[in-house]
Amino acid sequence: MKENKQTGNLLEVKNLQKWFPVRKNLKEMLAGEQKHVKAVDGVTFELKRGEILGLVGESGCGKTTTGKLVMKLLNPTGGQMIFNGKDVTESTKEETKKYRRDVQMIFQDPYASMNPRFNIRDVLEEPLIIHKIGKTRVEREDKIKKALNEVKLTPVEDFMKRNPHMLSGGQRQRAATARSLILNPKLMVADEPVSMIDLSTRAEILYMMKEVQRDLGLTYLYITHDLSTARYFTDRIAVMYLGRIVEIGNADDVIDNSLHPYTKALISAVCEPIAGKVNLVKEVPIKGEIPSAQNIPKGCRFHPRCVYAKPECWEQKEPELIEYKDGHKVACRRYKEILKEK
Amino acid sequence: MNNNVMEVKNLKVYYMSEKGPVKAVDDVTFSLKKGETLGVVGESGCGKTTIATSLLRMPSPPGKIVGGQIVIDGIDIVPLKEKEVRKNIRWEKVSMVFQGAMNCLTPVYTIEKQMWQTLREHREMEYEEARKVMIKYLNYVGLSEDVLRRYPHELSGGMKQRVVIAMGLFLEPKVIVCDEPTTALDVVVQAQIINLLKELKEKLGLSFIFITHDLATEAEVSDRIMVMYAGKIAEIGTNHQIYGEKGPMHPYTKKLLEATPRLHHRVEKLSFIPGTPPDLLDPPKGCRFNLRCTEVMEKCYKDEPPIIEIEPEHFVACWRCVKK
Amino acid sequence: MTLKDRKDKFMEFWNEYKKVKFGLVGLAFLIILLLLIIFEPLIVPFEGATEAWSDIAYWQDYPQNSRPVWTNFFSKDKRTPSVILEDFKETELPQRGQVRFFEYEFEYDYNYDIAPKDMILRFKGDGKPFVTISIIRPDGKTIDLIRNREMIISSIDGARVSIQNNSGANAYNFASNYESAENLSGVARDRIDVMPVIMSKADVGITKGAEALKGTYTIKISAILREPQENIEKPIITMSGAVSGLMGTDNQKRDLFTGIILGIKWALLIGLLTSFVSITIGVIYGVICAYFGGIVDVIMQRIFEIFYGIPMLPLLIVVSAIFSPSIWLLIAIMGLLYWVGPVKTVRSIGLQIREETFIEASQALGAGHFRLIFKHMVPLLLPYTFASMALLVPGAIVAEATISLLGLGDTTIVSWGQILNSAFRGGAIINGYWWWVVPPGLMIAITGMTFAFIGFAMDKILHPKLKSR
Repeated sequence: MKENKQTGNLLEVKNLQKWFPVRKNLKEMLAGEQKHVKAVDGVTFELKRGEILGLVGESGCGKTTTGKLVMKLLNPTGGQMIFNGKDVTESTKEETKKYRRDVQMIFQDPYASMNPRFNIRDVLEEPLIIHKIGKTRVEREDKIKKALNEVKLTPVEDFMKRNPHMLSGGQRQRAATARSLILNPKLMVADEPVSMIDLSTRAEILYMMKEVQRDLGLTYLYITHDLSTARYFTDRIAVMYLGRIVEIGNADDVIDNSLHPYTKALISAVCEPIAGKVNLVKEVPIKGEIPSAQNIPKGCRFHPRCVYAKPECWEQKEPELIEYKDGHKVACRRYKEILKEK
Repeated sequence: MNNNVMEVKNLKVYYMSEKGPVKAVDDVTFSLKKGETLGVVGESGCGKTTIATSLLRMPSPPGKIVGGQIVIDGIDIVPLKEKEVRKNIRWEKVSMVFQGAMNCLTPVYTIEKQMWQTLREHREMEYEEARKVMIKYLNYVGLSEDVLRRYPHELSGGMKQRVVIAMGLFLEPKVIVCDEPTTALDVVVQAQIINLLKELKEKLGLSFIFITHDLATEAEVSDRIMVMYAGKIAEIGTNHQIYGEKGPMHPYTKKLLEATPRLHHRVEKLSFIPGTPPDLLDPPKGCRFNLRCTEVMEKCYKDEPPIIEIEPEHFVACWRCVKK
Repeated sequence: MTLKDRKDKFMEFWNEYKKVKFGLVGLAFLIILLLLIIFEPLIVPFEGATEAWSDIAYWQDYPQNSRPVWTNFFSKDKRTPSVILEDFKETELPQRGQVRFFEYEFEYDYNYDIAPKDMILRFKGDGKPFVTISIIRPDGKTIDLIRNREMIISSIDGARVSIQNNSGANAYNFASNYESAENLSGVARDRIDVMPVIMSKADVGITKGAEALKGTYTIKISAILREPQENIEKPIITMSGAVSGLMGTDNQKRDLFTGIILGIKWALLIGLLTSFVSITIGVIYGVICAYFGGIVDVIMQRIFEIFYGIPMLPLLIVVSAIFSPSIWLLIAIMGLLYWVGPVKTVRSIGLQIREETFIEASQALGAGHFRLIFKHMVPLLLPYTFASMALLVPGAIVAEATISLLGLGDTTIVSWGQILNSAFRGGAIINGYWWWVVPPGLMIAITGMTFAFIGFAMDKILHPKLKSR
């Protein structure tokens, strides 16, 4: 058990894998093959203490599954997870419960993430009861009020009595955040926390999340498909495709100086609120459609869609993340040549 | 010379709830020119989806069109009988592309059967002829004819959306209302669909109403943009007037633009608008944005601002923009 | 939740419930039934009625198989209702040595078309008096009904004599003076209906009670007391009516209205207890299946299917036939079989709830199985639970009624099914004693309806509301 406090990594994920077995039909059962949906297929990254790492990608890329693996809501089929210097890949029930105090989640749908029959007070009390924090009702209520104040859901007494459906989207997300904060976690996994919230309130929630981070010294893993918001909110971005990270680095670097063809395609596809683009056709350098995670292409998994693909891309082994500079890594053999092609 | 393929005047659509009428769309006037894309943008509760369904004369119950006119190709569809609308208006003159194609393709029939059913409702056609039409429009949206044999669950999100667009087109209506057609799609597919819509607009001279909550998408798709807030129009302007150098005039539009994150340059502080939209059951007196507006004046609490044309094609409903 | 929270939630529920009309109807009926149970001791004519139900002695003075009193309203020929004559004129005749002679005179106004079923004299006291009973008709004719009969007064029950049972010969003799030979030949001396003879016109057809003789009758009772310590107290004459009670009587002379009232608490007990037990088991079973899924679900579903396949009625019949169970055992068996009802639905609702994000969120917070099942899933199922409970009640009541009807139920209790059983055996159907059959059946139906209405109303309101954004 190496103490990684010096490196300042709160979480280290190495070659994390999550394969879901697919139901076999009779033919396949007889043939003895087992197909898998390889949702997460060898993901490696580090999460430094106090930073916000964005996990970005389209639907099906494995970002949500990665989030659930980090949350230990799912057990990995391969790889390693090291949290605060300790290997937490496998843990007993008690250890998992303790883990939960350190790692919490904010969900995408603020309404669905709370039991509609509980009022906000009950919603926030639940984690305290589960972890036996606060011996008396009054003690627990104090903590609840503190958490609600932290997320600026005031007046506190008023909100404690309300049910989720009596709150606006933004308020609900604040309440959900308060619930996650009440255990004083070290790491927050935020899965599309603002995508279901109105534009005019989004920034407010993100601002609240940043303030909370500052006040409590949190680290965030921010999962989203929205590159623009990721750029605004995160320090570093990891781009995922079909279960692997294809590029990782500082947010500015990944977006302004993308190295991976997939990242470049994503960037060019995003719309911007700028005039004069109405009659222009969007050039998106990508081919075809996303393949199924049951049939991952050989070699570099992006090759069928890559406009720069050459035979080496599918003939050779899948590329690992190579460092370009300053922590900006890319999983593409040809990235240097592609840069020159520009 | 009236180049308008659709004109909406003083449209009022209320939801008759137990507690009274919810004024979802409250006196809205706008027009759509032939061959243009008019974007309708706003947040939840602003009325844009209500407008979408009302343009097809089917506001979801308990919604009702309580006033105003919707003139499509010279005919006001509001007073018509349902039978008339079903026969001659819906899908003939105006069609709709829904959000989330899963909502309008049944999983139990093949694409072919579903398209054929729709065609048959409206046109006297032999199957052979109908099939030709289906293939023609599937090709327009970039799909091959074997899609016909497929079931919806066998197609990807992007393909389904294309099918839905093809279905919205094949009767060659004058107006196509698109309600958040790209919101549920991945960003790459979204770009492809947007390209498709632009291509169709040019090739077939179609007119679109493009509804979304995303200002960024709107900028790349719409020729003119209508910003809605709490059931009313806040601002209408051309793409340049809203997104150009000068920027929009309505405080809400300004704030909304400031709240939209950018990809290509780092935004230091993203704006937000504190508070929530007003209760449409009992809207406040004066301008509906008054409680959240940073440029609010006393007049804003008393009277509703009229819609003024501050420059050609640029309309704003704000007291600050009214010159004395 | 605080008390105030609970009260608020209840008020919210109540406001919604008030709006559903048939729910209120159901609730009204339920309240009526509950009131009847509460006031049972007052309504039912005597204490300990449940035990008395089977005691023949209790019902002695009631008429047999008589219709409800209110049927007179609908029929042309009015039947005599039961009446107790308590006022008498007592005369003591001069003594002869030790022997004392007493006379008691009762008056009875008879204004009906169909004679009562019986006339019964009861008195308390001590000794073995010789009693003579005669009746003076309005037309002046006198019939000696009983002559010098030695009646032993028991210290517990007193003395009792029934005219119908003891005056046959005298009535026959009287009737033969006026009746046609034809009619007489059809009547047996010892089986003659005494009361119609006494109270009809002295003419042809008297044995059939063809034409009623209306007017005032005087009943004279003479008693001879031979010993000094003998005495007679409180003589009473009961006219056992041709109609009796709100719901008539059965062939054991039991007042059916009493039986019906007694049956309410059993019906409710059976219904509610069975449904409570089975719904509780069923819901928890279904939730556990849904929650754990996988192999647990598969095994539990197979067990469920075994139970589901057991036919309840045959099983109840077999068990009842072999073990002659008490009602409690029956309830237990029903509970153990009915639980299968809600399982499938609860499981599907449970599966949906399982997929909800807030379940995942609670897991992320560290919630264990117990908390997720009992604090999250089960409360969301509570509405369905209450609705099912209400809807299961009629089924349980009918099941018990069926078993009782077949003669296999618990005969020590008074349930409507038991009443129906005696009706069947007592030839109610053949003889047309509709008042014996309809009320119990109707009560089963009404009670079932009460709970069905309440259940449907609750289902309507408590159904998890569709999410709104």
